[in-house]
Parts: sequence; C-alpha cells; structure tokens
Amino acid sequence: MIIDFVNYAINGALLGLLYALIAMGFVVIYRASKVFNFAQGELVVLGGFLQWWMVVSMGLPMIVGIPLAFVLAGVVGLLIERIFFARLVGESVFAMVMVTIGLLVLLRGVVLVAFGPQVRPFPIVFPLQPLVIGELMIPTNLLWGGVLTVLAAIGLSWFFNRTRTGLTMTAVAEDHQVALSMGISVKRSIAFAWVLGCVLSTLGAVVFLSGKSLNFLASEIGFAALPVALLAGLESIGGLLLAGVIVGVIQGLATAYLDPLVGGAVGSVLPFAIMLLILLARPTGLFGWRTIERV
Amino acid sequence: MSNLRKLGDHTHPRTAEGRIMSKPRATGFAALACAAALACALAAPGAALAQTSYGVAMLSDYSGPYADIMPMLGRSREVVLDWWNAEVGAKLGVKLNHKNFDTRYDAAQTASLWPGIKSEMKPIAVLGLGGPDVAALGQRLPDDGIPLFMSTAGYGYAWKPDSWIINPRPTYAHEAAAAFKWLKAKRGGSQPLKVGIISSEASPAYVDIARGIERYAKDNPNEIQVVETIFTEVQPTDISTQVRRLVRGGVEAISIQTNTAAVVATKRALQALGAKVPVVTSSHNGLPASGKAIGGLNQMEGDYEAYGMGIASDEDTPAHRFYEKLKADYKLAAPWNVLTLMGMSQGLYTVRVIEHAIKKHGAQNLTGAKVRETLYAEPVTTAETFGTLPTLKFTKEAPFPVEGLKVNIATITGGKYLTAATNVDTPAVKKW
Repeated sequence: MIIDFVNYAINGALLGLLYALIAMGFVVIYRASKVFNFAQGELVVLGGFLQWWMVVSMGLPMIVGIPLAFVLAGVVGLLIERIFFARLVGESVFAMVMVTIGLLVLLRGVVLVAFGPQVRPFPIVFPLQPLVIGELMIPTNLLWGGVLTVLAAIGLSWFFNRTRTGLTMTAVAEDHQVALSMGISVKRSIAFAWVLGCVLSTLGAVVFLSGKSLNFLASEIGFAALPVALLAGLESIGGLLLAGVIVGVIQGLATAYLDPLVGGAVGSVLPFAIMLLILLARPTGLFGWRTIERV
Repeated sequence: MSNLRKLGDHTHPRTAEGRIMSKPRATGFAALACAAALACALAAPGAALAQTSYGVAMLSDYSGPYADIMPMLGRSREVVLDWWNAEVGAKLGVKLNHKNFDTRYDAAQTASLWPGIKSEMKPIAVLGLGGPDVAALGQRLPDDGIPLFMSTAGYGYAWKPDSWIINPRPTYAHEAAAAFKWLKAKRGGSQPLKVGIISSEASPAYVDIARGIERYAKDNPNEIQVVETIFTEVQPTDISTQVRRLVRGGVEAISIQTNTAAVVATKRALQALGAKVPVVTSSHNGLPASGKAIGGLNQMEGDYEAYGMGIASDEDTPAHRFYEKLKADYKLAAPWNVLTLMGMSQGLYTVRVIEHAIKKHGAQNLTGAKVRETLYAEPVTTAETFGTLPTLKFTKEAPFPVEGLKVNIATITGGKYLTAATNVDTPAVKKW
C-alpha cells in the first residue's frame, strides 16, 4: 500500500535525523580538532545516565533534572579536554584519535563502575502515544527529535559560519600551529568543541532513549550514526540533515520491504554499503571540504 | 654432665604433674594417643581426609550485554560451589576451586582466554554463560577433555551427538514451542497460533533461536504460524513500524528471546499502537528483569516467560528453601529471581555430576573425561538440584536430555509475578 510506503519513508527520515543529531557530535569535534571521536556512542550513554541519575535516581523534576544533566555533560566535556587533549595540542592527529579509542574504553568502564551494568528505565520525556494522521503513524519522540535536529543544525551552521568563535574553531581545525601564531587559543577552541559534543550527545540521548531502557549498550547508536557523518562529509553541519534523511529513508524502506524477503537485517547493513559506494566516488563525502594545496 | 642430663630430661615425656615417665609407660601413652587419633579420623572421615582440589572455571560477562544479570547468575553459582565444598565436598575429600573469567559474551574473547584458563586452573568442568562460549569452545573441548556445563537452553548449531557441551534445558526453540502450544490450548480452537518473532543478528545464538522456532512452525503448521521474524539491533531505536506489521498480521504472541532492551522497545511499540499482544520471553530476559527495565512489573501485565527450570515465585518450594539457606549461611546477596535460580541450577547440576564422578571413580585423579562419562551413566534427580531442574537423564544423542523435558510458565497478573503453568510437556522439534 502506498500509505505504508509513505509511513515507512517518514519514520525512516525521522530516524535518520536522530542519527544526524548523534553525528553532529562527531562533526563538531572534528571541525575543531580534525579528530574523529570514536567515543561518540559512549558520550550518548554518559548523557543518558546523567539524565537518569538526575531524574530517576535523584527524583528531580524533569524540567530541573534534564537541564542539570546538560550542564554536567558540558563539565564532562571540559574535563575530557583538560585531562586528555590539552597536552596534545600540536601533536599528530593520529595521537588524538588513539586517545579517543582509549576514551571509549575508559568511559565504558566509568559508566559500569558508577552506574552499574543494570538496565535502567529512562524517563518518558516525549509522549509515548504516536502522532496519528489518517493512516500515518509517527513516533512522537522521533518527531520531536527531528525538529530539535533541524534547529540544532541551523544554530550550529550559524555559529560556525557567522560567529568569531566558530570561525576560530575552523581555523584551529586547519592547523594548530598556524592558529596559535594568529593568536587563537587552540585549547579553548578544542575545549568548547568537546563541551558542545557532549551536550549534543546528551540531546541525542533524550530523543533516542525517551521511554525506553538504558544501559551501556546504547552506545551502539554511535556506530549507527557513522554512515550519516561520513556520507555528509565530516565538516558539514547542514549536510548532515540530508545525509541523515538519505540513510534513514533507505534503512526504513529496506527494513520494511527487504528484511521480510531476505530474512535478515538488511536495513542495518544497507546504509553502510551505500556509504561505501558514495565514498568511493567522493572520498570527502557529499558535503565535505575539498582541500586544494598549492605546491 | 649436668647439661647432658638437662638435654635428656627434655627428650623424655612428662606426666601432667611434670614428672618424667618411664620408657614403657611413655610407649603406652603414645600408642593410646595414636589409637585416639585414628578413632577420631574414622569417626569424622571428612575432617581427617586430605582434600584433593580441582578447578572449575566460570565464564562470565561482567562488561558485555549480560553484565546486568551477572551479579545474580554469577554470584549464585559461585555460592552453590561454596556450599558444596563446605557441606558435601569436605566429606568426600574434594574441594572445587572456582574462578570467574570475563568473556564479555564474545566468542573471540572466550577463545583467546581459553588457553590461559586451562593452564591456570586445569579445570575438570567449565560453567558457561551463553552462545559465544559454545561457538568458541565447541570444537576444542573434545581434545581438551573438559565438559562445558551451561545454564541456558540449548542451541541448534550445538545440537550434535557426543557433545562436550551440556545443557540442562532443551533448546530455546523447544521451550518457546512448549509455550506456544500451551497458549494455543489456552485460547482453544484448532487454528494455529499466529506468532511474531523479534530477534537480532548481533549474536549467532539469537538467529539460531529464531530459525528453530521457524522450523517448528514449518513442521507443525497446525500448531503455530510464524507471521514474520524481525531482526533489530540489541538496543532498538524504534520498532513501531515492524511491530505494526506483526499486529496487522494478526499475531497472538510475540516471541523475544534476545534481551530486555528488545522487550522494552516492543512493549513501547505495542503501547503506542494500542495493541494487546502477549510477549513471550525466556529466563535471561524474563518478566522481572524486563519489568524493571521498563519502569514497573505492572507494564508486563499479561506477558509470559517460559523455560525448562523452576520458577522463582514466592511459593514455598525446595528451591526457595535452598536459596534461603544459601542466603543465610553462605551470604548469597542476589535477590530471589529467575536469574539467581538459573545460576543455582547451573551450579547444582554441575556439582552433582562431579559428586557422582567422585563416588564412582574416587576422589583422586578425577578428570573432565571421567566427569562427562558419569554424566551419561547416572541421572541427576530433581531432588538433588532442589527442584531447580527436572530430573536430567543425559544421552550422547544430544547435549540436552531428549526425554522427559518440561517447561514452566510464569506471568504477571494484577501486577504480581505468578506461576501460570508447571510441567508443560515440551513438543518434539526437529533439528534445523
């Protein structure tokens, strides 16, 4: 039925926008430091647990607990930069990337020690009842997530392209030494990127986990968002929206029509396959920056 | 001379008053002392026998997808071994040393740890956790001569004769089929029960379970009809689209044998759709655990869990009494639930098989091969496992007992965790 097709496509697009929101964490950190953060999924888990801690464990009202969790996430981002990355300014990008892999393992351990391995109920932030329009049924959390993702993308695009801080972060990503010679504080830019990355991950956790369960396995969303980040190109905030919709719609339709035929999770694999194909043709992704070097 | 006399004085036994005994009298006392010691030894053989120690390795997941259940499952099986050492092994002159190894529910991790486990513990038995242990060690165990005792139901890919992997329960497909058969009888009518399956490709075991149920449906079209098998992530984002397909297909039960996150996502999807379709889970993702993950047991109202072992209800059963003993005497901190019971059952049938082997072969020079041989020679009775398991009579035909298997079913009614059915016959399921 055509209405089913439309429904699968819409839900897929909204799911893709959630991936885009998670992928924004990748992009923000990459734009400021050229570091691909492998621990992005763990930051989502951490953001989720901070909210669970504030709202469920401490019993704070959501209107207080969730903003507090965002503040704490920002503090965590700042700590990550101060402890691990402040000393690496001017070092190779490879060293920083290796640190993010170590961070992945460390954050998982911290979450296990601090919050335990138990599956926790996540607060119901968005209504559980879907939005029903005729035959269409749209999950409310994904709908709100889509709206938040678009708003975040617009805000971040403006920030990176129109504000002094945003532009200095771009300069930092280009070359630490050159940025330093121009009087730009590289440490401050990278710290701001990590704070922003952690806050965006916490926002992603709200949309992803609202009304569901939470344990450290939620970090897998980080890898699910990977095709979106790579497809968009790791520098483009606006490109994430389109890449998210492409990946989400492909995944949604494949899950609906190919999974029953094949008897497997084609929907989970297909976005990666398409991402690889596009990257073969355009190694910088759809909207990634092309670097032109003059010799 | 005086020094020599002093030396001599010290070498002679003295009476209680300090006087030196004459030599014949001293010999008499020595003989009496020896006789008394011998009498004591005979009266309390356990206390006097030199203890022989054997290793029992425990494969665990404290940092992977089942980390949440390990404090219950893992701790209860450890405590069962402590209980056995103190109350049974001491009398037999055997101590079972046990140690946990974190495999993260990862076959590669199990495979890489295995050589170290063998050299460190020289185990005569291994307690496994799940499918990855089976996948990693299935080919190696015959050469190593060490049996792997599981707590879970069996797997289709490990359903082979002459196995070194032992399951006290039939396959998950058997257990699910028994539950579906019971649900069909409860519903009445001759139409097959329409079933949906929600699984994941994250583990070969999950796929295996789905394939087993599909095989049963294929061979028994009058019993169940699988509307669709849906594969999702282990932490699904949103599966309302997929669940909607199942609801439209008229499913009367949804089988989820993966994890609690999948149960929660399915329940949320059903709630969003306003559909009331019972979910059927297994022991590792059962109703109390899923209820806790979704925010309340009452949200699991009308759902079921089904498995081939005892149910951890509040009723006064031998299993419950044994749990209370472990809690009181051996500091078992795990709560009384299906996961604790699962660990208890695993520990119990393992130590009982080892106990039978000791009685048959003696406490000395026990090997994994002798333990396995005894497993086939002598059944483990339900009384020996305090009712946590039915009587288990293993044959080399399969890794699990092929006859006399029963399934118990629990449900939530009025927000309470209750036994819905006991001793439900397990139907025959062909290999897949």
